[in-house]
Amino acid sequence: MAELFEIDFNLEYPYTRTTGPIIGPFLTGLRDGRMLATRVGARVICPPVEYDPDTGATVGAENLVEVGPAGEVTGWTWVAQPTSKHPFEHPFAFAQIKLDGADTTMLHAVDAGSEDSMSTGMRVVVRFRGDRQGTINDVYFVPGDEAPAAPEVDDDAEPVRITEHLIGVRIREPLLPHRRRFVEGLRQGRIIGQRSPVDGKVHVPSRGYDATNRVPMTPDDDVEVADVGTVTSFTEIVPVQYHGQTETEPYIRCSVLLDGADSTVGGIDIRDIKVEDFRVGMRLQMVWREDDRIGEFDNRGYGLNEEVYERWEPTGEPDVDPELLKEHNF
Amino acid sequence: MPPRVRRCNRTCYVSWKGEPDMARPCAVVGIGQTKYKRRRDDLSLDGLVREAALRALDDAEVSFADIDAVVLGKAPDALEGVIMPELSLADALGAVGKPIHRVHTAGSVGASTAISAAVLVESGRYDTVLTVTYEKQSEGNATWALSGGKSGGQGAGGTFAPWIREYIRRSGAPEHIGWQVAVKDRQNALKNQYAHLHLHDISIEAVRESPMLWDPLHFLESCPSSDGAAAMVLSSEDLVSRSPNTPAWVLGHAKRTEFSSFPGRDTVKPQAGVDCAAALYKEVGITDPRRQIDTAELYVPFSWYEPMWLEGHLIAPDGEGWKMTDEGATELGGDFPVNCSGGVLSSNPIGASGMIRCLEAANQVRGTAGDYQVDGARVALGHAYGGAAQYFAMWIVSSELDPAFS
Repeated sequence: MAELFEIDFNLEYPYTRTTGPIIGPFLTGLRDGRMLATRVGARVICPPVEYDPDTGATVGAENLVEVGPAGEVTGWTWVAQPTSKHPFEHPFAFAQIKLDGADTTMLHAVDAGSEDSMSTGMRVVVRFRGDRQGTINDVYFVPGDEAPAAPEVDDDAEPVRITEHLIGVRIREPLLPHRRRFVEGLRQGRIIGQRSPVDGKVHVPSRGYDATNRVPMTPDDDVEVADVGTVTSFTEIVPVQYHGQTETEPYIRCSVLLDGADSTVGGIDIRDIKVEDFRVGMRLQMVWREDDRIGEFDNRGYGLNEEVYERWEPTGEPDVDPELLKEHNF
Repeated sequence: MPPRVRRCNRTCYVSWKGEPDMARPCAVVGIGQTKYKRRRDDLSLDGLVREAALRALDDAEVSFADIDAVVLGKAPDALEGVIMPELSLADALGAVGKPIHRVHTAGSVGASTAISAAVLVESGRYDTVLTVTYEKQSEGNATWALSGGKSGGQGAGGTFAPWIREYIRRSGAPEHIGWQVAVKDRQNALKNQYAHLHLHDISIEAVRESPMLWDPLHFLESCPSSDGAAAMVLSSEDLVSRSPNTPAWVLGHAKRTEFSSFPGRDTVKPQAGVDCAAALYKEVGITDPRRQIDTAELYVPFSWYEPMWLEGHLIAPDGEGWKMTDEGATELGGDFPVNCSGGVLSSNPIGASGMIRCLEAANQVRGTAGDYQVDGARVALGHAYGGAAQYFAMWIVSSELDPAFS
């Protein structure tokens, strides 16, 4: 059960980048076997820059110049345990490299074999990978001075203008205590909220504090609320397609004010009631899933996980007057 | 140098303690916008913010060397996946070696950023501030980001649609009001060269027949997804004359926030929005906003938010906002024109959208709004909201430093 209380959240998206007049040619150069820098006043800056860092002036593609292919390491660190995002699966060095002809350093990977092979002041030289896409990982460096063989270049390839990058962040955190009690309750078929010690209002799910009155709430404030309630707001969503979206058909999302609660649970998923039959004020009964699978919870949600329930069924009771639900339409 | 402090009169601040507070006048002296488009693939992110910044500097007839500080705003970093862009964009904004500030208040950030920049001038700390906001929506996906990267996200439309339905229920507004706003703002956009959408064939029928995305919101009642940047140069009173074009004086501003969800929250007319407007009007000396404000740029990403904010910001009584729309009061030529530039419904580079409201208000009082100029506009409101309608930022600008309100 321990795994239930540690959240492992992975947020990842294939972002694109429009490269512009300087970075585009730089990446095109990497693909085509050339290292490019920009001449900015008296300095040659590599990697190249679109704007003069001293004056803010536009640098312009006419100031692109070729540098390298070899250079000097001015500082480095050893990566003993590479991750999947690193340019090598085996240990390597990240180094600041001042390419011949450049006045500034660029950060890149050196495939040095062992940490003992690395030293500040050592010479390194570029190597071009076989399958080059016009990205910074098209190249890497090795110790030495020996210029690489001219790589095979597709003369008809378009210049790099847009690149794609899978960028993500992975967050691990413990489920907070009030959230653990909420999730434990769901596993037992009970919905646990918290009653504010100041105004008596019941928050479901609770944040562990009463934000309105600015007081923390404790396990003593826990209360159970019903699994039956009233629809306070809804919409039918036509799913927008995006990375990771699995929905294809329209579905209803609603908020329900559970009996005994003063805040609504949001994002309730309705699949088997037609939108024309759905109303604010309608009474619904939650039908629990029979297994104890309740899906993943994080610390921030304001709903019930959709894996907690099979569905919600109309109770057949008369509707509640929507006028009485005005303050519960989140 | 003697302290340059404004005389304390009606247009000075009232601090949060309710006491008079000294602030020196600040004016918008330069405005710059990019063309808003689905995808600006001709420019890097740096190039995009730069285009707006240079246009604002040109308009103010100043250069980067004249700028004391830069204030940058954008919506969540997850929209483009560029973390701490205020650092990587410093070169493009001529900000190396200068103070650079980052503001983030979700969708309201554009207006919050403008206000933060104004405060830096009003406080006396800096004389000339460049403020820039942007979004390059084409580099990511806003619905993905707003869904926390999960399937089945509600998106912004899915969040606001239930509250719109509740507004319709409470007010008894007929369903054509939303369609009417969608048409009006798109027709206004035809007069604005920077607007993303130029829908020449827009009509009530086209809106009504467009796909239902988040019941009751149709596709054409929703904002587009845009790339773009907006910028302003703000100056203190003694440097305003350096810029040749008419200044827009910042008469007052206000920001308010509330939690997204708590027992008793009114999502249709959030208390923070009411408080924000009331504080702003009090600071400026406005007692009858509909009469005393000549035009407004309200943050209306979904059509129904025009009447909702007319009521939510005390411009119309409860249940009467939709009647202003229905009667044509909010059209260009009406007695309270709203979103003459085309609004968020026509251009939505999210992080910049609030600043566009603020700078279009300034355009109106400077007389630089071109084909969508409101005749004789003297006092204009710029507004933005964000999050789950929980962050508010508003300012009022005027062609006069100390206008009389009757």
